[in-house]
Amino acid sequence: MIVGEQKPIEELWESIKGHQKVLVFGCNTCVAVCQQGGNKEAEILASLLRMKATQEGVEMEIQDSGIERQCEHEFFEKAEGRIQWADAVLSTACGIGVQFMAEKYAKPVYPGLNTTFLGAVEKLGHYVERCQACGQCILAATGGICPIARCAKRLLNGPCGGSTKGHCEINKDVPCAWQLIVDRLQQLNLMERYEDLAPIKNWSTDRAGGPRKLVREDVQL
Amino acid sequence: MTGQAHAAPREEAPPIEAPREIPPDWEPSILAFACHYCAFAAADLAGVMRLSYAPNVKIIRLPCTGKLDHSYVLRAFERGVDGLFVAG
Amino acid sequence: MSAKTPSRLEKILRAGHLAVTSECGPPRGSDPKEIVHKAEMIKNHVDAINITDNQTSVCRLCSLASCIHLKQLGLEPVLQMVTRDRNRIALQSDILGAASWDIHNILCLSGDHQSFGDSPQGQNVHDLDSLQLLQTVRKMRDEGKFLGGDDIKRPPAMFVGAAANPFADPFEIRVPRLAKKVKAGAEFIQTQCIYNLEKFELWMRQLVDRGLHEQVYILAGLTPMKSAGMARYMKNRVPGMDVPDAVVKRLADTPKDKQAEEGIKICIESIQRLKEVKGVAGFHIMAIEWEEKVPGIVEAAGLYPRPSV
Repeated sequence: MIVGEQKPIEELWESIKGHQKVLVFGCNTCVAVCQQGGNKEAEILASLLRMKATQEGVEMEIQDSGIERQCEHEFFEKAEGRIQWADAVLSTACGIGVQFMAEKYAKPVYPGLNTTFLGAVEKLGHYVERCQACGQCILAATGGICPIARCAKRLLNGPCGGSTKGHCEINKDVPCAWQLIVDRLQQLNLMERYEDLAPIKNWSTDRAGGPRKLVREDVQL
Repeated sequence: MTGQAHAAPREEAPPIEAPREIPPDWEPSILAFACHYCAFAAADLAGVMRLSYAPNVKIIRLPCTGKLDHSYVLRAFERGVDGLFVAG
Repeated sequence: MSAKTPSRLEKILRAGHLAVTSECGPPRGSDPKEIVHKAEMIKNHVDAINITDNQTSVCRLCSLASCIHLKQLGLEPVLQMVTRDRNRIALQSDILGAASWDIHNILCLSGDHQSFGDSPQGQNVHDLDSLQLLQTVRKMRDEGKFLGGDDIKRPPAMFVGAAANPFADPFEIRVPRLAKKVKAGAEFIQTQCIYNLEKFELWMRQLVDRGLHEQVYILAGLTPMKSAGMARYMKNRVPGMDVPDAVVKRLADTPKDKQAEEGIKICIESIQRLKEVKGVAGFHIMAIEWEEKVPGIVEAAGLYPRPSV
């Protein structure tokens, strides 16, 4: 899922303070899992911003609403009225949702979150990065652990000299991806794979190749 | 969030509310959320026993404090309540 | 095996001599005098001088320009190149730039993470990793081709090296990791600073068992300690460093004003012991901001005079 982190109230206030009618608009799929940016969080944020407006002595209306996904047209229908009412939207979706809304509506759409990464819920309250969407999955060669997402230097052929007792040189709280890979290859009895040279990567399927697009002719209406 | 080195250090957030001067005759407005089965029953009993308690505390009965929601708390503050008392 | 490049370091190693290299860090400014001065101090006692590439991610005068300054003095530089700061276009371009100045040695590294240096908010590139950089230089040299497949006019003639840390984790892949670097094209290896001689010797035995010492020249890395404080710092703070308690204790038990001398003594004793280890082809002496001590160490270790080839 996509993980996000709510921006500080002060920053959000700077975005919306010049508007009369602001809709705080939640997105209830990915970012709601880390309890940031879901419809519930949008409701709370709207309340906090109303208090902020009162304290600042600014007359404005702030309402909240939300849908399941701000990255698909179909979901917007039920919130159409609220969106039309607002003269600005503070979207608590990931960066995708914010942009998708901005493309749909001719009114300012501000981001309520910092979109942080694609991750998993390791345990309640712990969200961890697992994929960088490089467009050419190498997990088959690395025991199912991605060195691109999980090594601070995205090294493809093994650990750097800074791997110490299982953790990364940048921070003791970060496991060394290559230690995990080696442990996993040993567990799977596949250590001989470690000595295969990883080919020089084609990054054109990554961000480097420009915006990516997938078109499925077979599922189009 | 993850404590990783690449997460830029968050700048110290400015205080949300500047402290204001308290007027001499001011009494805080307190809202109590009380569970139907215990705390609210206690408040009820106080009434039956003709015990008096501060008039600036208003009580809302909940079927259980588990029913308390973020929005109740925030709505109370938005409407000018100064403090909340949740009892259950 | 005959030399594949005009590198003096390669010739010395192929002739079977124990090679001696050292390294100098470029200054944090544009005055080349500092690097020239450091090189002058050690030039008669080493076969080649590594120039670090923004080591510990602190921005400095570039390795390539520093190498050119050395080259102009008639010295033999080893161009260190990290994959942290440049993509494959810049890496190949700098390799050609170095080759145009007849710089004949390159050491391929991934580089310390930028969070250690003066630009923790910067991007890192890592378009290639260190093994892929090795492959790149070998392809440019041996096939005369760019990674993109086009021909290179006057390909670079570089002796290609890599670093190895016999002490980093996971220990079980220390030898496979070296084998992989050899497979990627490394012809010489300079190791991380060695203080735990037993562990290093164990690593060397495993290399020799696999016959890797016949495919790559291993230069044992040594850094003399200046004080017990430095020993403790290296032990506790520097990732991937293995400093045994005995070394720390030996320095700590020495009076403060004699600790530097003792550190040099430890370094010399280490060289003397490692000279006898099968597969050790030379020494890489990294006297950090202490270059003036290198000649004394080389002489006391019986590695002077340097052979001429």
